[in-house]
Amino acid sequence: MPGPEFRPEEMLRVLAKHGVRSVLIGGFAAVIHGSPYVTTDIDVVPDASVENLERLSSSLRELHAKVWTPDEPEGLAFYHDPVSLASSRTWNLVTDFGRLDITFEPSGTAGFADVARDAVGLTILGVKVDVASLADVIRSKEAAGRDKDRLVLPVLRSLLAETT
Amino acid sequence: MREARRRAGLTQTELAERTGTTQPAIARLETGDTEPSFRRVVDALRACGLELVPLIREADQSDWSVAAGNLRLTPSERVANHQRAVRFAESGREALLDARS
Repeated sequence: MPGPEFRPEEMLRVLAKHGVRSVLIGGFAAVIHGSPYVTTDIDVVPDASVENLERLSSSLRELHAKVWTPDEPEGLAFYHDPVSLASSRTWNLVTDFGRLDITFEPSGTAGFADVARDAVGLTILGVKVDVASLADVIRSKEAAGRDKDRLVLPVLRSLLAETT
Repeated sequence: MREARRRAGLTQTELAERTGTTQPAIARLETGDTEPSFRRVVDALRACGLELVPLIREADQSDWSVAAGNLRLTPSERVANHQRAVRFAESGREALLDARS
């Protein structure tokens, strides 16, 4: 069975519909800031308050979110509520609209409040999205230090220099 | 090991001489026919003028999770996914430019 079509705006539309407070970060935030490295998954940092995690849990149900594992690329169904969602720093999920990564504390940051402070609110394809600042995307990628981060950091730093 | 030897510009015989072994032993090392000790690999790399820098870090499979999903798609479906990603990104960039102006 083929994977779902990647429709980031639909994923984010469901989160917004449920009132989930979150910030788009990672590769796709970088793309919006001008990175040429287009990704086909999205990373969000949700507010970790119980109320917000309740809304997040509802939205994940609507998205039919499942946990991605190497052995189960179509995803494993999982029970989630605010407590269980908060029990892991990161969730790698498969949804009806593509891959969604949820990260409560991206490397080098203190979580939602930290990255929300300088996020820019945009309306993209009719969906309101808070996008992490390029400086915060860079901060996170520098701290993560993965090979794929090192690949994109030079151009992200150049973009930051050009736009500030 | 093959990459290291070639980077050092050595033949298998020359590397064997430097490490006190035989050319067939180096050949087996390079083809994976033997399971050398970590110490032996480090010594062989040093003989090539290189060093092994092991890293311990958290496993990250986020890209592989996307790639594994792509394997189940046809090339046309992969392109379509990227087209949708680009469409979203272009709209996001336009919104960002509007927000800045």
